[in-house]
Amino acid sequence: MNETRNQCVALCVLVVDCEFGGCGMLKLFLWLRYLRKKKIVFLSIAAVALSVSLLIVVASLFTGFINAFQRAAVEAIGDVVLAPPTKFAKYDLFIERLEQTEVVEAATAILSAHGLLHLGIGNVRAVDVLGIEPVRRTKVMDFDRFLLRQKDSGGELSFKTNSFEGRVGGFVGIGVVAEPDEKTDKYDFDAVEKMFGQQVVLTTGTISQADKEGRRVEFKRKVMEFTIADVVETGVYQFDNGCVYLPLEELQKTLYPDEPLPVVSEVQIKLADNADTDTALAVIRGVWRSFVGEHLGAELYLMQYTRIETAKQMQRRYVAAYRKQMGLLLLIFGVVSFGVILLVFCIFYMIVRLKQKDIAILKSCGAAGSSVAWIFVGFGVCVGIVGSGIGAVLGYIVTKNINTIEDWIRIIFGLKLWKSSVYMFSKIPNEVDWASALPIVLLAIIAAAIGTLIPAIVAAWTKPVEILRYE
Amino acid sequence: MYKIILAMRYLIKRRITYFAVLAVALCVFIVVVVMTVMAGLVSDFKQKSHNFVGDCVVGTESLVGFAYYEDFVNILEKSGFVGGVSPVIKGYALVSPSWTDQSLGLEIMGIEPVRHSQTTGFGKTLHYRKGNVSKAFEQSFKPNLPGCVLGIDVSSRLGNILAPVRDAEGGYSYSSRLGEMALSVSCVPLTARGAPANAGAGLIETKTFYSSDNSHSGLARVDSSLVYLPFEWAQRLCGMGGSVKRASAIHIKFKPNVKLQTGCEKVASLWQKFKEEKADERQAYLLDTVTVQNWKDNRRSSIAPMEKEQTVMTVMFAFVGITTVFIVFVVFYMIISHKSKDIGILKSIGASNADIIELFSGFAFLVGLLGSCIGLFGGWLFLLKINQIEDWLFEHFKFQLWDRTIYAIADVPNQVSPKVLGVIVLSAIIACLVGALLPSRLAAKQKPVEILQVNQL
Repeated sequence: MNETRNQCVALCVLVVDCEFGGCGMLKLFLWLRYLRKKKIVFLSIAAVALSVSLLIVVASLFTGFINAFQRAAVEAIGDVVLAPPTKFAKYDLFIERLEQTEVVEAATAILSAHGLLHLGIGNVRAVDVLGIEPVRRTKVMDFDRFLLRQKDSGGELSFKTNSFEGRVGGFVGIGVVAEPDEKTDKYDFDAVEKMFGQQVVLTTGTISQADKEGRRVEFKRKVMEFTIADVVETGVYQFDNGCVYLPLEELQKTLYPDEPLPVVSEVQIKLADNADTDTALAVIRGVWRSFVGEHLGAELYLMQYTRIETAKQMQRRYVAAYRKQMGLLLLIFGVVSFGVILLVFCIFYMIVRLKQKDIAILKSCGAAGSSVAWIFVGFGVCVGIVGSGIGAVLGYIVTKNINTIEDWIRIIFGLKLWKSSVYMFSKIPNEVDWASALPIVLLAIIAAAIGTLIPAIVAAWTKPVEILRYE
Repeated sequence: MYKIILAMRYLIKRRITYFAVLAVALCVFIVVVVMTVMAGLVSDFKQKSHNFVGDCVVGTESLVGFAYYEDFVNILEKSGFVGGVSPVIKGYALVSPSWTDQSLGLEIMGIEPVRHSQTTGFGKTLHYRKGNVSKAFEQSFKPNLPGCVLGIDVSSRLGNILAPVRDAEGGYSYSSRLGEMALSVSCVPLTARGAPANAGAGLIETKTFYSSDNSHSGLARVDSSLVYLPFEWAQRLCGMGGSVKRASAIHIKFKPNVKLQTGCEKVASLWQKFKEEKADERQAYLLDTVTVQNWKDNRRSSIAPMEKEQTVMTVMFAFVGITTVFIVFVVFYMIISHKSKDIGILKSIGASNADIIELFSGFAFLVGLLGSCIGLFGGWLFLLKINQIEDWLFEHFKFQLWDRTIYAIADVPNQVSPKVLGVIVLSAIIACLVGALLPSRLAAKQKPVEILQVNQL
């Protein structure tokens, strides 16, 4: 009895204080009291935290995957790719001109082909063959850090091997010489190590076009032996599993021995740090047109049909599809998280019903209906803030440790969820997407506030004369 | 009886219960829709995989293949449980079309079209020769020259501007007649020991084929990287011809009344016996790498990721479903705190603690059942119209769930599986029972003497 009277006195003092501008104290007093007395409020905090963390993890994993997808393309082909419809010569001159502009930092040429690689007894596989200039390529896309042997050497990249003089050296993707373990998805580096210095045979070829003398179109096979000088591990399955890198000059000599000048199929470009993409593309296009005009016989089709695109533009369809999937998944979980509003509503409705006497006392001491309503809405906002704060921390922890969690799932349940052969990358991208997390947190707070609206209105309409009657 | 009456009464009279029902219905609705679509995609993919390989595969991963396959084919054909057998050659080839100096590394599969169609769904994947599989490799322009069947997306990868291209609805537009398209196919033939067969003659074997049809299996990887060749030619190109012929695999279809597991066990037993019989043959060592697999195990690497995604999705929904358990808990807690007098009266007239728990568990069951039914009905209605909704969205807003030019998906799967529905309803009811468990126990622990005191009334 004494306790109730003390509470009434405390409430009245705070209400009077509220009239003089100290409403914050009253609200804080009640919120803390309800939180202490009504442990059920922690359920709503837990529900908000759960939903927020799940949405943040989903958004972060998807965004991380999309970013990794785009980054992988830039690391594989540079910022911009110039791909004419046919091979072209005098590329050194073109690269020199490009590098003289302010928008281009570095550029490198490649010659690409497809081939079959014979690695040993009964072991043949289809590969993409890339003729590269290792030093220039490193300037364009930090290629050196992907090479197992040379990445820490500090010197210039080279195809040199320890075997006999004159033998051609080449790099192979790690997946070409080894298969990732079925259970752990990790490569056996001891087996990979044994492949260094091995002699392998590449079969590739070109098509000879029909000529006026009646010679028909035929496939000219080219066989090239090379020694594995290094192994490339980019972490992107597609490249690791199917790429062979050879010295550009050697591949040119093998594929196009009759060409008067060495030819290439593409130029990959790294833009200067501050270069605007649209401006850079316009400059590159201009340089290409003048180069074709001066050195490639002003061929119209070379000017018109040459593809000059950024790596991101080349992938935009896929990125758009991934973003759509992410949006759908967030929508689905967002709709299910609508339950949080219902939960907050139920809990607050219960509090309002059980605390009618508090409300009546407040109103009888002069508190306005809106002030009473704001106590509950504010409490709901606090629940939202605390819940989404916990959810954000939880989401951050889960996302950052997603690879460890995935590994534990594999160890405990024997279920390997992430495989590079399926999801491209050897590691699950674990960057937290704060740009998506922020709206999720805000929406959670708004949802919690919405959940309290009806109970708050019920509280505001409470009539002290009915509640505080003696009988 | 009073338990049912009271449970029904609480359900109808206590409006707060509607929120619990709404939460359950919402959760069930979403889960039904997502799981049906996912299960449909997985099941569709499995069916296509089944069509692609048949029921059982006896084969090796090695590109060398295995010998004496003809003898084993004869054994299988004579057995009473096999409906179709098709030996197959698998390998890699460098494919170069005539119109460009580019070439592409692709997978090749040597088949006998009629046998392969009797064993797998190959015949149904063809476009021009669908009704006449025997002519699958017969090109209309030059019928005497060897033909090849290209995976539907291979042509466009090879740079053929007339290739069928997937449209926005997931279908392909074909020309009335396939254009003349010569492809130079080069392989590295291997000896039985795995060494290059033509070491002295440039290592590779090349042959020109003319595209005779397109195969649309619906499996993205197959359609974009596989070229079907006549069996004998593929055998020759891969170096598996000669005096002791080799093949990469034997695809098998069982008779309709034979169960998959039984059939595979019989094949495995026959293979074991066959291997023992051939133990003294010159190339018997090649038989050691051969395995007998059912179609699911054979396509495990493709099917498993989809099944795992389904599992992950289920786990995520289970996490989100915890909120529903919380809601039920809160609602029951409220009801019990308001209905303490009912509980006091019930206990004072002899109801036991178990009876009170039963009463509220029954109530929770009703909430779960009603919520599930509403969610199921809503989900079913939505799924029924999902493709029309998607068409409308595409027509007006260019929005599709999946970009059909990227994903090999036709319609959004909407076949509701009773098994999936059963599991969802059961899970929803269990969630309600779990949510109501603690409040029910609290109710059961209440003492009538305290509740029914005059000053409490």
